[in-house]
Amino acid sequence: MSFDALLILDVLLAALLLMLAIAALHSHSMHQSIILFIVFGLVTALAWARLKAPDVALAEATIGSGVAGALLLAALRDNRSGSAITPSPGRPAWQVLSVTYLVIGLMLTAAWAFLDAHANNSGPRLGGLVQAELANSGVGNPVTAVLLNFRAFDTLLELAVLLAALLGVLLLGPARPAPRPAGPVVTQLVAWLTPLLIVSAGYVLWVGAHAPGGAFQAGALLAAGGIIMRLGGSRYSGLPSGFWMRLIAVGGSGVFLFVGLAAMSGDASLLQYPRDWAGTLILLIEIFATLSIAASLVLVYLGGRPDAWAPDQERGHA
Amino acid sequence: MLETSTLYGLLGIVLASLGLHAVILQTDTLRRVLAINILGVGVFLVFIATAYNGPDAAPDPVPHALVLTGIVVAVAATALALALRRRLESSAEDGDDE
Amino acid sequence: MNEAMALTIALPLFGALAAAAWPGRSSVIGILSVLLSGAAVTWLFTLVMTHGEAYQLLGGWQAGLAIALHADFLAAVMLLLTALVALAISVYATCYFRSPRDAARFWPLWLLLLAALNGLFLSADLFNLYVTLELLGLSAVALTALSGKRAAIRAALRYLLVGLLGSLGYLAGVAILYTGFGTLDMQQVGERIAVDPASEIALILMTGGLLLKTALFPLHFWLPAAHSNAPAPVSAALSALVVKAGFYLVLRLWTEVFAEAISPQGAMLIGLLGCAAIIWGSWQALKAERLKLLAAYSTVAQLGYLFVGLMLLFTTPMGQDYELVLGAIMLMALTHGFAKSSLFLAIGVVQQRAGHDRIAELDGTSQRLPATTFAIALAGTALIGLPPSGAFLGKWHLLSASIDAGQWLLVLVMSIGSLLAAAYVFRVLGHAFGNAAFASRPVNMALQEWPALALGLVATLLLGLGSHWIWAFLEISS
Repeated sequence: MSFDALLILDVLLAALLLMLAIAALHSHSMHQSIILFIVFGLVTALAWARLKAPDVALAEATIGSGVAGALLLAALRDNRSGSAITPSPGRPAWQVLSVTYLVIGLMLTAAWAFLDAHANNSGPRLGGLVQAELANSGVGNPVTAVLLNFRAFDTLLELAVLLAALLGVLLLGPARPAPRPAGPVVTQLVAWLTPLLIVSAGYVLWVGAHAPGGAFQAGALLAAGGIIMRLGGSRYSGLPSGFWMRLIAVGGSGVFLFVGLAAMSGDASLLQYPRDWAGTLILLIEIFATLSIAASLVLVYLGGRPDAWAPDQERGHA
Repeated sequence: MLETSTLYGLLGIVLASLGLHAVILQTDTLRRVLAINILGVGVFLVFIATAYNGPDAAPDPVPHALVLTGIVVAVAATALALALRRRLESSAEDGDDE
Repeated sequence: MNEAMALTIALPLFGALAAAAWPGRSSVIGILSVLLSGAAVTWLFTLVMTHGEAYQLLGGWQAGLAIALHADFLAAVMLLLTALVALAISVYATCYFRSPRDAARFWPLWLLLLAALNGLFLSADLFNLYVTLELLGLSAVALTALSGKRAAIRAALRYLLVGLLGSLGYLAGVAILYTGFGTLDMQQVGERIAVDPASEIALILMTGGLLLKTALFPLHFWLPAAHSNAPAPVSAALSALVVKAGFYLVLRLWTEVFAEAISPQGAMLIGLLGCAAIIWGSWQALKAERLKLLAAYSTVAQLGYLFVGLMLLFTTPMGQDYELVLGAIMLMALTHGFAKSSLFLAIGVVQQRAGHDRIAELDGTSQRLPATTFAIALAGTALIGLPPSGAFLGKWHLLSASIDAGQWLLVLVMSIGSLLAAAYVFRVLGHAFGNAAFASRPVNMALQEWPALALGLVATLLLGLGSHWIWAFLEISS
């Protein structure tokens, strides 16, 4: 029986992920926990790549580890003035023990169920249907086809979820104060990185039709550019103010919904794109979705409502 | 030997359990948010492991799309949770406690 | 039919986008969207009544590949409940959120919540349900935190974390189902389900996650704080509609997907938890010092009745009695939806007038706000289950089904529950009557008082007197 090199890689990845997770959850320093979580996200991206899920790997690295990490690090500074995070009081031992036993029990049952399910059904599942209809979807990348054509309604609702989170963040208070203008090194770095990120975002969006990539990854890259600009001292990361800011934020869902409804001519169902136009419509939707996602992620990074969101309403306290 | 799908699926279940354990027992909000994210990654691992069809065949793209959606939803929820926490932390400075 | 289903979800969504983009006009856009989506729901309801249930495969792809929407009688009824209650709440909200700043924050999120509810009731795809659940949860949390008060923010944060845990539990179940059966379509999974470990674990995970979101005892700990600290129109929506969505999903999953995998012990457990919810919720409501807390605990109790009904559904063989119990569950859900929203809107009026909602200091409210006190009385009648409210018939049928099934514990618990409900309702009404002279006009703040009154009338009179239609329609659709 030969040792598969990939198996060694898998075991190492698994062990690394477990150690990072345990360390992140039980570290005494909050700062350390967040850094470990970011690394955890990046190693997870490696795992996705190993499991032949490059689109997911891109998304995990940019959104799950990048943007989420930025949000968490910014949140660290929100603590009550002066205090580092006080060590949380421990739970009584009986609580810890009972929860641990229950969770272990649940884990073992779930593992057994998963093994049983996996053993009984190792067919192609829905993948076969996707392969069969891929040529009719208008794009070549099967994941993009599923996201923006076969299961487009999910993606539309997901954009709405992002909007709901954005609206929630906006209503909770004013944005964090703008950082002071950065020193020359950071300013140069920002000057180099931002255009690079914008171009990369455009590329990832374009190539997503027939290779790994797509609107979400591109949007996250753009958002990363915005976050870097903010760290370099910019106030709104290049976003327009007032009506245009709001329009960009809702534009992705708006265009998506409009196209989906407009496609309902004749006897068609919602989001049934005409076959010849599918590729073009998908690209159109993706462009606006990328802008929306980028704007939303930058705005939630700001942590609250910037004055620019509704300048004519900013009288009175926030 | 252990199949790749099974290995990663079980890893996902263990990670999810770690996250669940921490969500219940930790008291600090930031730690709980981290725990929920790790729980989410665990569930996503089960999906992607199921989608893996071996080194030669193409993977099943549907779970990939589902996990992509899940990642975005998780970040959105994280952002909202952190904003709520920020509001709590800042209002605690103004006097009233707990 | 396709257009009706699509518009039901699309109209509130469009409204939310428009209200977010034009915050100055958000109230007008909001009311317009609610009216239009109400019209779409009515259209869909009449189509379902005349043509029977319908499926729509979004995108035109085949079943399994596409997301399926399913409009049947149950979905149509829940949509109608949502539309009517949402209309009343929206009318009330135009007064409650008078300042442009508050209105701009309320309406986009409120319309997103409506879109999520409509999408949830129509969806027949397991993962699509997850996304609608998340949209519902996030918008509900944001609305709970609207007032900005510390207690509200804390309750909202807890609600968010608990909600995320619930949806991830649900998603974990979906993952195992997909691994075992290879599809996300509810109908297809229902066909392929078998009594094996995968199905059982998926059932436990999904039900557990949904019970967390529906606040069934003992997973209800987050609800009283969240519902009592939210602004009045939001509390009304949370208690009347959002928690119902969780129950609706449990009902759907248990009857359509997992029908063969439910064991009698599982059904008994749910029933027992429902009983505990009835007793605990009613007892806590009796002890509550504040009106909103009383109403929140009352929600915990009333949800218990729904789950008792669910248990009866699984211990009753198919046929006449099954329809009877199903109709009773729907009637209880509808009545509670109207009654609880009426109660919360009325409490909102009282709170704005008196400045507080402490029960012991409500003296004379009935004289100052006669219409609102009447609304509270109507809502209370429906909560207790007195005739002619819909809840009376609902409880009657549940009781008779329990007696038929020999479930004496259920009979005892439901009776005690009604007694306790009577106690806490009369306690409130007793405090509301004082010695001052009556106000000269019955309705003092029209736009604010009418919605509560209208909802209370529907709960107590319309549903009770018109309830035989529910069983008639159930027979037509089956």
